[in-house]
Amino acid sequence: MPTENSHIKILASAPAARIIARELNRRRFLGFAAAAGGAAFLAACSSPESTLSNGLESQLSMYSWGDYDAPEVLTAFTKDLGPKLTVDSFGSNEEMISKLVGTKGTSGYDIVVPTGPYIPQMVENNLLMKLDHRQIPNLKYMDPAFLGRDWDPTNAYSICKAWGTTGFVYDKTVITRDLFTWNDFFDAAMNEASGSVSILDDPGEITGMFYWANGIDWNTTKKEDIDAAEDFLVNKLAPHVAAFNSYPGSDAVPQDLQALIQIWNGDARLGISESDDPDKWVWRLGAPTTELWMDNWSIAEGAPHPKAAHAFINYVLEPANSLAELDYIGYHTGAIDIEQKAKDEGLEMLDMVFFTPDQIATMKDAEVNEAQERTVDIWNKMKAAAGA
Amino acid sequence: MTTTSGAIAVEKRPDEPAGTVVLDSVTKIFGESTAVDNISLRVEPGEFLSLLGPSGCGKTTTLRMLAGFETPNSGSIRISGEDVLGIPPYKRNVNTVFQAYALFPHLSVAENVAYGLQQKKVPKAEVREKVVSALEMVKMRSFADRKPTQLSGGQQQRIALARALVNQPAVLLLDEPLGALDRQLREEMQLELKLLQSQLGITFIFVTHDQGEALSMSDRIAIMREGKIEQLADAETIYSSPTSAYVAGFIGQQNFFEGTLNKDGNLENSGGKIRAAIPLSAQTGTAVRAAIRPEDITIDSKEPGPQINAISGSLVSISHLGETLQYLVDVGGGHTVLARRPRPGAPRLELKSKVWCTWTPESVLMFHAHEESPGSHDSPEE
Amino acid sequence: MSRLRLPRPILAFPAIGWLLIFFVAPVLLVLWFSFGYKPGVFQTHANDKLSFDRYAEALNPTFFTTFWNTLWVGVAGTLLCLIIAFPVAYWMAAKIPSRYRGLLIALVMVPYWTNFLVRTIGWQIILAPHGWLSAALNWLGLIDGSLDILYTRSAVLLGVVYNYLPLMILPLYVAFDRVSQDMREASKDLGAGRIATLLRVTIPLAMPGIIVGTLLVYIPLMGDYITATVLGGAKGNMAGVLVASQFQTAQNWALGSAMAVLLILLILVSAALAGLIIWLLLLPFNRSRRLVIGVAK
Repeated sequence: MPTENSHIKILASAPAARIIARELNRRRFLGFAAAAGGAAFLAACSSPESTLSNGLESQLSMYSWGDYDAPEVLTAFTKDLGPKLTVDSFGSNEEMISKLVGTKGTSGYDIVVPTGPYIPQMVENNLLMKLDHRQIPNLKYMDPAFLGRDWDPTNAYSICKAWGTTGFVYDKTVITRDLFTWNDFFDAAMNEASGSVSILDDPGEITGMFYWANGIDWNTTKKEDIDAAEDFLVNKLAPHVAAFNSYPGSDAVPQDLQALIQIWNGDARLGISESDDPDKWVWRLGAPTTELWMDNWSIAEGAPHPKAAHAFINYVLEPANSLAELDYIGYHTGAIDIEQKAKDEGLEMLDMVFFTPDQIATMKDAEVNEAQERTVDIWNKMKAAAGA
Repeated sequence: MTTTSGAIAVEKRPDEPAGTVVLDSVTKIFGESTAVDNISLRVEPGEFLSLLGPSGCGKTTTLRMLAGFETPNSGSIRISGEDVLGIPPYKRNVNTVFQAYALFPHLSVAENVAYGLQQKKVPKAEVREKVVSALEMVKMRSFADRKPTQLSGGQQQRIALARALVNQPAVLLLDEPLGALDRQLREEMQLELKLLQSQLGITFIFVTHDQGEALSMSDRIAIMREGKIEQLADAETIYSSPTSAYVAGFIGQQNFFEGTLNKDGNLENSGGKIRAAIPLSAQTGTAVRAAIRPEDITIDSKEPGPQINAISGSLVSISHLGETLQYLVDVGGGHTVLARRPRPGAPRLELKSKVWCTWTPESVLMFHAHEESPGSHDSPEE
Repeated sequence: MSRLRLPRPILAFPAIGWLLIFFVAPVLLVLWFSFGYKPGVFQTHANDKLSFDRYAEALNPTFFTTFWNTLWVGVAGTLLCLIIAFPVAYWMAAKIPSRYRGLLIALVMVPYWTNFLVRTIGWQIILAPHGWLSAALNWLGLIDGSLDILYTRSAVLLGVVYNYLPLMILPLYVAFDRVSQDMREASKDLGAGRIATLLRVTIPLAMPGIIVGTLLVYIPLMGDYITATVLGGAKGNMAGVLVASQFQTAQNWALGSAMAVLLILLILVSAALAGLIIWLLLLPFNRSRRLVIGVAK
């Protein structure tokens, strides 16, 4: 799916729904539809491979989450450094990984954006290329707090692109009491917000809510924990759920589709900023605990344009670009002092972007483990129960 | 099916018994064009009436108004003495044989024939009996269980006839039913149709553009032109005494001569004079047209004696038409004359030789020239 | 001028090849995967051990609930399309002067010039509880407060009708167009009224088109989950979502394949069953009209 930038070719796929919804919402429907036609044309006539005078390859292809970069940064990259950028999007890490596994290093993608916990197995399966830090001098602008995470302690394969967390927003004209915790969320969902509840369309986020609420390790593989989650989510919560929506910020919040919405922080910020009546929405970080997810810049094994890929990563780490990315996507990019810069720039609703150390202490990392199949199963059962 | 009609219609007019069809000042307009222009017509019970004319003359529209598929803009239509205006087709005691037969391809021959009876909730045993006898009537009994698509054009034609007649309508409407058949089959069907009609005694209203068909079957023929009836009479009268050059040209072939009326009441033009036994009562100098049938023209290589009705020319062709020979003579000025003589006694003539055509004043019909003549053989078609 | 003459079967090869490559091969592949299993977190499928275990796994209560929902949307949506398309197609084919027909067909097709997803999301915006439609209806005094249609089955059906109606109208239109005016007039001439003509002539003759239109809507609708999830939210849970979740999220191609095979079977069996039911219902009617004369004595 295209952006305003004619240098960038973004191919359509399932996650495009989010972009379409957002574009429609921004009332740029006609421009969008016209661009959609243009993109197909552009995709059909990419120029042959060559090397630019600065030593970079003339092309660069990125495989990322939908609508996850500031268009002006992407445009400026091509303008400043030359490589033409193609962006394809995926809707889940699994989808991205299966494509890389399936093509065995010939996917043609240079930059991929995996979420932290998936990185060790990707490395183990030779899906990622080692980063050459000499080609990324701008690494010095990164806050060490967001480097050296457990899944890649030396940042040999990944550098933080953005991190975020999960919470919820509610419409205080419908829910007049104060909600703070996941248990409050469940209580309201089963009472005054029944039938007007939206939860993330992601298995781990849904089971996560139950574990976070009940002080259970999010990465549990114990059968009794999983059974308890299934019983509560399928039998108690599901009948009250109206929608499974991973990006409610692009439709549910601005259009008042539901009153109680599980949402990622950046998306909440986008939704509230696009709402006609932003004051009625209350954002709450999940409590007592919630998650911390981190998406990372990585380069795929067998990337055809490694120099351009390194140059791109270096380019987005540039403080000005990092701030533009933050402003566009609404997530912390992990750069040093970016909070202050954002405040200086006068960006709004920064409480949905930056969190206090106390809050960050309540955010848990995810793991990929053998509970996944059960988790997906619970998700499907909830959908069946909610749709019945 | 030997009764005149199965009509149960209330006889509102004693002078119009079952099977009578009356059109009274009927007009039908489609958008800008007047398809039927103030037609009045009475068809007697058991009569075979043909509506004859070129396409667009209003004959099919007239038939469709009788069937109930079109509603006249003005005038009234009575069938069996009953005013049928506003009565839908399915409640009229008339049936139609369509030009393309319109047999139902998903039903068998027998089911096609049974269709009308089933609509009237006729008991099953009776339906079977009537269907069998209708199929026997058209000699199609052994095809009863086939699908119409497995039949030839002539066979489909018979089924269409049986499907209509099995309902014992007071009036049968036939819309160019023989148009799709080849010549030989068409002639056979003409005979059968006429025979059937005289046996059943049902009123037939037959639409055609083929004068031969009309002449061979009809009790009376209505020649139509531009929404009007030009002449309504039996075949003999129309053939021998057409009331206009249009009718004269439409029925049979004619040789037409254009000219002006001289003081003696003869047609005169640059080629000579033509005398009619019955002169046209019109002023001297009027533009007139004389019509002479090819069979009334004598052809010879010898120059005739002094008589007015003669013209010379070069013999262009001789064609054999079975019992007659037909001669085409180029008389100069782009005009030709058509002559026909019976084979016995026909003169032996050389092609391209000079010949003389003569005819008697009795065979000449004189008309006003302003009328068109669609079938004119002033310049032969073949 | 000489013309290259090809034997007829050769002309059919591109079509047959196309079907083999893009239809038969993927279906066989899915069938093959469905007998395999998912060996580990990073593998999607393996077929070194074959079994029916994935089918046993797929056939659980979740699956039945979802399939029932899918069947409901599929059948109700198809029927609704048929009911709406029938008079429209008939009117276009039989009542409208032929010079306007091209324009009408173009109008029917207009929504297809837009991306499927865009069209559906367009409806989501229109139907939003505080969206334009809601505001318009409030202004007209037809409703009071928010419009509670989005994320209900009514919204799903609305979206289905909008997205699939052209697929029903076009074959019906072609079918009705082929039932000539003559046939209907012949029926009326033989004493059948409008209803009898419709039932005994027009519908039987248009039946191939009606069947094509029904299948053309029903089959893709059963596999569609975009319309249902965008407009129905949780109430639009379709079997397609289940299959997609196995392929994309759980990365379990074996189980996803088994579900896909079951979905295909459900579509085939339900379509055949519907045909059988209709045939049985019409049997007494057809039998009463049947007339076999037999060979002459």
